[in-house]
Amino acid sequence: MVAVIKKELRSYFTSMTGYIFVASFLFFTGLFFTLNNMLGASPDFNSVLASILFIFLLAVPILTMRLMAEETKQKTDQLLLTSPLTLTSIVLGKYLAAVIVFFGTLAFTFIYPLIMSTMGELAWSEIIGGYIGFFLFGSALIAVGLFISTVTENQVVAAVATFTTLLILWLIDAIIQGLPTDKTAGIIFALLLAAGIAAITYFATRNIYVAAGIFGVGVIAIIVGYIVNPEIYTGFIARVLEWFSLYSRYEDFQLGILSLSPIVYYITFSSAFIFLSIRMLEKKRWS
Amino acid sequence: MIQVENLTKRYGQHVAVDNISFTVNPGEILGFLGPNGAGKTTTMNILTGYISATEGRALVNGVDILEEPEEVKKMIGYLPEFPPLYGEMTVMEYLDFVSDIKQVSGQEKKQSMEKIMDLVKIGDVRGRLIKNLSKGYKQRVGLAQAMIGNPKILILDEPTVGLDPKQIIEIRNLISSLGKDHTIILSSHILPEVSAVCERVIIINKGRIVASDTPENLSKGLDDGTRLIVRVAGPEKQVVKVINEIHGVKFAESQGSKEKDTVDVVVESDPDIDIRKPLFFALSRASYPILMMKSLGLTLEDIFLQVTTQEKEVR
Repeated sequence: MVAVIKKELRSYFTSMTGYIFVASFLFFTGLFFTLNNMLGASPDFNSVLASILFIFLLAVPILTMRLMAEETKQKTDQLLLTSPLTLTSIVLGKYLAAVIVFFGTLAFTFIYPLIMSTMGELAWSEIIGGYIGFFLFGSALIAVGLFISTVTENQVVAAVATFTTLLILWLIDAIIQGLPTDKTAGIIFALLLAAGIAAITYFATRNIYVAAGIFGVGVIAIIVGYIVNPEIYTGFIARVLEWFSLYSRYEDFQLGILSLSPIVYYITFSSAFIFLSIRMLEKKRWS
Repeated sequence: MIQVENLTKRYGQHVAVDNISFTVNPGEILGFLGPNGAGKTTTMNILTGYISATEGRALVNGVDILEEPEEVKKMIGYLPEFPPLYGEMTVMEYLDFVSDIKQVSGQEKKQSMEKIMDLVKIGDVRGRLIKNLSKGYKQRVGLAQAMIGNPKILILDEPTVGLDPKQIIEIRNLISSLGKDHTIILSSHILPEVSAVCERVIIINKGRIVASDTPENLSKGLDDGTRLIVRVAGPEKQVVKVINEIHGVKFAESQGSKEKDTVDVVVESDPDIDIRKPLFFALSRASYPILMMKSLGLTLEDIFLQVTTQEKEVR
């Protein structure tokens, strides 16, 4: 795994991608630091971190697009997959390399609170909390990008798809506001969800009976749920989509609150997408 | 060393490898021969654990590739069809990385890298970026990669593609010498290569094994008689008549005249009779001098075409 991390780190900085990421990230943090803290004369550094969250939309695809896509395209995945490395260590190595670049860049920005601390007292615990949240949040998005990079062998497709996905995640809270909250809509959505899971199962296993069985179980569960407590379908759509609301979970960190549940959420989110990436590579060799 | 049992690989409806079984003994050099798309690469990809078989299993040293992939992968060095090279690395950096992922470490790593670079003759480009190397050098770096970690088994998919004739001979000699302490499977569609290097040949066509033997036995087995070509000075009809009257001749066929006042005749005889002496005496009695006599053993090329087209007729 260490070999994979070393190789990925080297390839970030023998090509342009690493430099573009570092440069754009530092440019925007510097810009917002100057605007908010220097010109705005505010000691609140967490607001800088919160304002630059949007930069993930551009920075994460740069960081993750080539991770697996290029290996597949150049057929160098044959070297990795026929070496004694496990799939887990390949994927984890790549993920950690991207996270290390992100972490290193983020560490640079620590100079801004240090500058501010020369001018007065800072709420260090709040700033540290903000950094932890920012780091975990970025790492979760990197996991999404990594997964998308395992799906396609085209870097441009990977970048655009990652950008779109992150944009949807960004807008998801706004989308939730506009969705119907009544029971009928909730039930229809639950049915669609069951159908979707059944469809994914069918494409993964090519077994129509298993897929139909899953759909059947889903329908029964929906009916049982309705009989037991019809109220669970009120606002059902919003509640499901909120699972994917990464940004709303950042609010605590912005206020400098270090609470456990968003931390666990981000780590779980990252792990889920790393796991999916491993499964994706595994599936490729079976199809 | 390698045991393949009823291996099948399907891509949807398409059957890439169809129920093939074979074994490779330790120290053997086995050649995979077949037209493009015959399933050579697919078979090699399964053996190296790059893809999984739909049915059947492959055992390396008694270990199933699906059950203990890491164990098996340690024993195999693989040179795929397209050498898996990172263009932005130098040759040294690349081999260093490969050593790392193959868990070769410390002092051993340096030594083995030097030794391998020496063997495949890439020492003079060690500091250059791989993307700037010629096809021949890239191929040799790919071969070096397969040899790192000193695996007992080498699987080489068309190892001499893109090399010039001198390099081809060097690589062939290298493979032959590696064959002394390695088990090697190599694929090729270049027939002389296979007959020059391999002790045994498996001919694959459309995912099936259509023939498997030593190159010599393959030529013998398909050759149901001994054929000679003779050039005789004399009139065509009489010469053919004289030859046909000799005991043991199955048939004689004129190939026309390639030189003035001569005729070329292909003579096929029973395999257990040496027809050359009677042929000489019969023609000399008839005063038709023999100007040339050559035996026409089937080349591997003929066999290849024969088995691969026969298969087509059967279907």
